[in-house]
Amino acid sequence: MTPSTPAAAVSRPAAPRRSARRRGRWGTAAPYLFVLPAVLLFAGFKLYPIAWSFLLSLHRTVGGTETFVGADNYLRLADDPLFWTALRNTGVILVVQVPLMLALATGLAVALDSTLLRGRPVFRLGFFLPMVTGLVAYGIVFSVLLNEEYGLVNWLLGLVGIDPVPWLTEGLWARISLGLALTWHYTGYNAVILLARLQTIPRELYDAAAVDGAGALGAFRHVTLPGLRPALLLTTVLSTIGTLQLFDEPYVLTGGGPDNATLTIGVYLYQNAFKYFDFGYASAVAYALTVLVGVLGMIQFRLLGEKS
Amino acid sequence: MTDQQSGRQPGRRQVLRGGSALAAAGLGLTGLTALTGCSGSGDTGAGGSGGAGDPRKGKITVWSWQGPAAELKALIPDFNKSHPDIQVTVEDIGNPAIWDKITTGLAAGGQGLADVLHIGVDYLPGYVERFPGGLADLAPLGATAHKDAFAAGLWQTVSPDGKRVNALPWEANSAGFYYRSDLFERAGVDVGALQTWDETIEAGKQLKARTGAHLLGIDKPASQPDAANFFQMLLQLQGAFYFDLEGRITLDSPEAVRAMTLIKTMNDAGLVSNLAGGWNALMSSLKKGTAAVLPWPTWFGGIIEEQVPEEAGKWKVRLPPAVRRGGPTAATVNSTHLAVAGSSKQQAAAWSFVEFALTRPASQVRIYRGKGIAPALLKAYDDSVFHEPSAFFGGQRKGEIFLGALRAPGSAVNYTADYARALKLVTDAQSKVLLKGADPAKVLGEAASELARQTGRKNVR
Repeated sequence: MTPSTPAAAVSRPAAPRRSARRRGRWGTAAPYLFVLPAVLLFAGFKLYPIAWSFLLSLHRTVGGTETFVGADNYLRLADDPLFWTALRNTGVILVVQVPLMLALATGLAVALDSTLLRGRPVFRLGFFLPMVTGLVAYGIVFSVLLNEEYGLVNWLLGLVGIDPVPWLTEGLWARISLGLALTWHYTGYNAVILLARLQTIPRELYDAAAVDGAGALGAFRHVTLPGLRPALLLTTVLSTIGTLQLFDEPYVLTGGGPDNATLTIGVYLYQNAFKYFDFGYASAVAYALTVLVGVLGMIQFRLLGEKS
Repeated sequence: MTDQQSGRQPGRRQVLRGGSALAAAGLGLTGLTALTGCSGSGDTGAGGSGGAGDPRKGKITVWSWQGPAAELKALIPDFNKSHPDIQVTVEDIGNPAIWDKITTGLAAGGQGLADVLHIGVDYLPGYVERFPGGLADLAPLGATAHKDAFAAGLWQTVSPDGKRVNALPWEANSAGFYYRSDLFERAGVDVGALQTWDETIEAGKQLKARTGAHLLGIDKPASQPDAANFFQMLLQLQGAFYFDLEGRITLDSPEAVRAMTLIKTMNDAGLVSNLAGGWNALMSSLKKGTAAVLPWPTWFGGIIEEQVPEEAGKWKVRLPPAVRRGGPTAATVNSTHLAVAGSSKQQAAAWSFVEFALTRPASQVRIYRGKGIAPALLKAYDDSVFHEPSAFFGGQRKGEIFLGALRAPGSAVNYTADYARALKLVTDAQSKVLLKGADPAKVLGEAASELARQTGRKNVR
């Protein structure tokens, strides 16, 4: 390296002068000009709304005018049974559905990676396809399939002598239905992320494990799982955020019912803003949700991310 | 909500598409973004005083949904004969999508709103109260001249203070009682003789035993807000509602408890089929003949004719039985209206179209012939079309039955700006009663207290 450096400098003497000349007019401004559109768009469509929404969360509409109420909307949250119901429902989905879905996705990823499986691209496509289905469209399809009296699922169950299941009309079943719909929609997506990571794990590690006498389960536990850790962290954090923001599925499938059994924070936020025109309160719900997403995301990074 | 059915078709909503497993800036922030567009500042453009523009010329846009939109569109050639320089574009926004679109437009200070807006009675007070000036005052444009032209109680809906006129009534739907006369005949029940809902429940038991059909259907888990329509009808038949005229909460009034108790009695007796899923389930039930009675308002007759044409002659219609013996059997259960946006630069031209569509009997008759939309304009009923016997409804003069209800002195209904919140609490309470057998008085009491807490309104007990 040492001898080549002065040679390179000597061989291109004009370059620094040319760039200095340019820098005089555009040089220092160019980077700013390039990032300006992004900064402006970010400021206009993200920062401004975020700031304005915070202001809004400190106001309440009284007789058509915005009245400053300080932290009232936030205090209202603490005392609002529906907000707590929404929080609890969202928490249940987070604790029950997300781990089940990720376990399923991991199994699926391993299966899709296996050389024993023929026609792997077809299966990969098949499992990923639900992800590209329109959220509202699949919500409607599920609600038709799961209709207690007229749905296909209960009709099929009836053929084998099983009584109609109140899929969407009873609290527990409605939660199960919501979980089923979410799992159908997002498992393939998570499996594809895990699969991508799986394919980066060196084959030699498996060979070494085999030499050490590890069976299929041992290899999975000591090679696959540690190798998947970063992807598992990513899918866990994304699924957590997605669950906390859950809106479309409960909105279309159950409308948050029956009797708020599937009411999520997203649906409650929407109801307050666009049904009750209570924008200040809805903003407070949105801020509570944002704080929750931030805190849970950080906790997960701490717990899962430390060794990756 | 009540008007959402009068859209004839349930719309599909694609709002706040919060893709679940996306980046951290998701609904927390997406929601914030959406909300910020809706500052609810009350700053709504032209101030809504009415009168902007030239009444003889201009370009105006009208927002409505499905059937009504088609009918407004069909009126344009006639309108242009007298107003050749006003260019009208009618847009079918779809129902319920139209409510979000109007809400966001009003909240954004009137940005992007059409000049003429079709608004249901369940949204009108909320829009007026939350977005002052969002809708133009039609009084300076001459609306007050039509004050007595509409069915009882409707002027108070569009002009609560008697001065400012927020909209003009279009569609007025009375409570109806459509029934399968063949099923009742088989059960040996004379439906015409049923005077009260208590008697109807007894008849329903006989009907169930002899034909297997349910008396009626309710969306028990309240998949859609209109699950409370029947409850609301029973309330209105007693001259009661969720709020009194001063805006105080009357959700747990004796009338409300009585209405919910009737529903519980029916359900406990196995007379209520479950219409979970809303509109689709209702249509399936109609085709399968699951329930013998459809306690729906005026416009639903057209739906029955459309859905089960092969059942012509089997259906009949009457006004609903009274809740208490000798009590009223007529109630205007919902209405829709045309308003002019406060931000419209063509308010005068927009008003010309509204006036043409809603105050001329010829326009209303044409709309009724097209889609069976029942006008609030009483003079329209002079036309023979409202007095013709209906082949589908066994030769009954259906129009006259509902006209009788419209002429009956109806008590005014105060929906207030908090109707949507009240409706949500009511549907939750009803689900508790129907699915878990909860006590009507208890759940309504809780709903009323919660409503008071959320809205700051006084509870009348």
